[in-house]
Amino acid sequence: MNHPLLAPEGARQLLLGNEAIVRGALEAGVNMVTCYPGTPSSEVPDNFRRIAACGRFRLEYSVNEKVALEVAAGAALAGALCLVTMKHVGVNVAADPLLTMTYTGLPGGLVLLSADDPGCHSSQNEQDNRNYARFASMPCFEPASAQEAKDMAKAAFILARESQQPVLLRTTTRVNHLRGPVLFGPLPETPAPVLPFVRDPRRFVPVPAVARIRHRALAAKLEAVREQAETSPFNSVSGGEAEVGIVASGISRAYLHDVLLAEGWQDKVRVFDFGLTWPLPEKALDRFMCSVKTVLVLEEGEGLVERDLRALAQERSIPVSIMGKGGSGECTEGPLSIFGEYSTLAVRDALAPLVDKNAALSCGVNCLELPQRPPNLCPGCAHRSVFFAVRKLFGDEAFYSSDIGCYTLGLLPPLAAADFLFCMGSSISAGSGFARAGGRPVVAFIGDSTFFHSGLTGLVNAVFNRHNLLVVILDNGTTAMTGHQPNPGVAQEVLGDTSRHLDIESVVRGCGVERVASVRGYNQKAMQQLLLEMKAEDGVRVLIVEEPCVLYARRTLKKVRTQRAYVEEQGQDALSCLESLACPAFRRVGSEISVDTELCAGCMVCMQLSTSFKARKREES
Amino acid sequence: MSARLRIYLTGVGGQGTLTATTLLSRTLLDQGLDVVSGEIHGMAQRGGVVESTILVGGWRSPSIQHGEADVILGFEALETLRGLPYLAPGGAVFSSTDFVPPPGVNMGRESLPPIRDIEEHTAQLTRKSCFLPLQELGRQAGSVQSGNTALLGAFCASGLLPVGVDALAKGIRSYLPPKIVDVNLRALELGASAIGQCI
Repeated sequence: MNHPLLAPEGARQLLLGNEAIVRGALEAGVNMVTCYPGTPSSEVPDNFRRIAACGRFRLEYSVNEKVALEVAAGAALAGALCLVTMKHVGVNVAADPLLTMTYTGLPGGLVLLSADDPGCHSSQNEQDNRNYARFASMPCFEPASAQEAKDMAKAAFILARESQQPVLLRTTTRVNHLRGPVLFGPLPETPAPVLPFVRDPRRFVPVPAVARIRHRALAAKLEAVREQAETSPFNSVSGGEAEVGIVASGISRAYLHDVLLAEGWQDKVRVFDFGLTWPLPEKALDRFMCSVKTVLVLEEGEGLVERDLRALAQERSIPVSIMGKGGSGECTEGPLSIFGEYSTLAVRDALAPLVDKNAALSCGVNCLELPQRPPNLCPGCAHRSVFFAVRKLFGDEAFYSSDIGCYTLGLLPPLAAADFLFCMGSSISAGSGFARAGGRPVVAFIGDSTFFHSGLTGLVNAVFNRHNLLVVILDNGTTAMTGHQPNPGVAQEVLGDTSRHLDIESVVRGCGVERVASVRGYNQKAMQQLLLEMKAEDGVRVLIVEEPCVLYARRTLKKVRTQRAYVEEQGQDALSCLESLACPAFRRVGSEISVDTELCAGCMVCMQLSTSFKARKREES
Repeated sequence: MSARLRIYLTGVGGQGTLTATTLLSRTLLDQGLDVVSGEIHGMAQRGGVVESTILVGGWRSPSIQHGEADVILGFEALETLRGLPYLAPGGAVFSSTDFVPPPGVNMGRESLPPIRDIEEHTAQLTRKSCFLPLQELGRQAGSVQSGNTALLGAFCASGLLPVGVDALAKGIRSYLPPKIVDVNLRALELGASAIGQCI
């Protein structure tokens, strides 16, 4: 198979951070990859998928992160070298097995990629998963460039197999989505050997008596890795004699490098580049702190290294001043905070007072008030059709429990179809509790992939505990938000031989739901009729709305609708359709309303809502 | 010309901003330059702003902050205006004169600034600016989408990059799908010749 990621040793290519991780895993001889997609991690499994035909590994899109980790950990027990990928919040889902598999260890080796998202570019929180390295006692690598993403991924696999301990590869959005040159190392002839499993219940079955012993074994393992961290090439000191030292990790290292370069401050500081960041290389950090008078810690997220260094300095009586997050005195927030991302400007402003008293600090720029471009549901997206119908029939009387997916975008007016949301799968369970305590109707919206991820358990609970809510499953036939990955709801023709399709309606009925109906997403009349009926009923009701994601229909299913909408009659009727449906293909200039035929997807929902809209054959462009 | 260059690219989802970014990055790498590039595109497909960066000559950070961009490439006029705070003193601006109206404008709630205002605002910040009708140039070349390549052509012909139009022509042949190579080569030429009217 011929693919750039399979190029021989010595090739130098511009790779996305996530592509570089794939190459690193291949160089290490990865046997099995499991994942649940989530920005910014998704390009890792998606690139494995593109090269799956090379036959070097088995790839699985699992139904959620806990399952992904358990499947991979099982394979690693059976001796395979495994990679599991997910976004930061996915690790919360997988945390239960994670915190025990570090006790048992995994002989084949397992690397967990946690793609964090400081700044919440596409996430519901900016949690710092370096905490999991500490919490679960996992060695942790933090790359800052594409080359390092490749090299550290490979090193993480080698360490995972040598130590038999799960290893964390922790990235952030900037690293996942940067592109940089990567020099390829050798690709092994064959993947890593799968080691035979040696039965040992006193290690692998953590009943209390075993778990107590394994906790000690884990501590000892971590001490051994600490020795490696002391001399790891990913933990290095540069710069000359200087009073100011900087300990930098993750993408902050890139910001620091660029600030030193731009300002010519290289000789004014000593830098500890911190790449293998857990367990803490205490001796190396001790020596570094002793060699300077002041240490500035650069780390996005929480001040974890800062606190570790303060503790280490106190314990060892090292006379050093340690600086990091937060302002001093009356300043509430300095340039370095726990909020959002760092930047060259933030690093420069934090460093300037230490190395150049005359350097002016950057001042904020006043941005212009311009029309915004909020992310929006696509023209022809069936979610818009559903939200319109639900809003029309339930209005402000009901509360809307949303979930994670494109349909979260329904929160914006005029659709206003989201009142609360926590995480994947929360729509049904949080909606259940809300309805019980709030005494008002609740409509929960959940997508097909999210339903299989963790909506299922909430649904079983809702039936079991006799909750009262309407669940609308928005089945667009794919995992749309993250780029059309497979899930159990995807059609068998698209899945091929490696996966099996599960019918959502059968699953819902199997969970004990008695009131279930399915309807097409573009069929307003049938949908409104069903919603009206279900509104009058009690208990758990499930409406499954089937309509393929428009982008997926076009690209994968190769379905193109031949009609386009146009406005035949101007007036209040057309205007109110524009204002209540808010399709991105609508145009309004003064009182004149039109449909952009380039953008119109031909769903014809507008035509069903207003007689002012009509359909005509799409002109061939 | 600075050996180190920070290029900020901005546009709207679906316009091909990231394709243009990758094409230019790979071209620069092939010319032996040190390149790092970044992109933020979580919801790009859904009509959001797409911002990307190319940093040439030894930078390691993939992001660009306000006041740091030596060059702004705006594939859409409103986004050029929104991106102007990123311009470094003495930086250059290459932009489309065309708009992709945001939802508020389409719904008749907001209005777009006239292109003349954007050009004048840019002129107050820098003498080095070049506004081109990318859709029209793309149409002349054979497809509206190739207008992005015309902007890259103007940039390469400006002398602000350490590589010229020939290098980008080579990049187009190497990295774009064969069926759109000729159209993009024509767009490249159109953009390169248009630079004479600007800087």
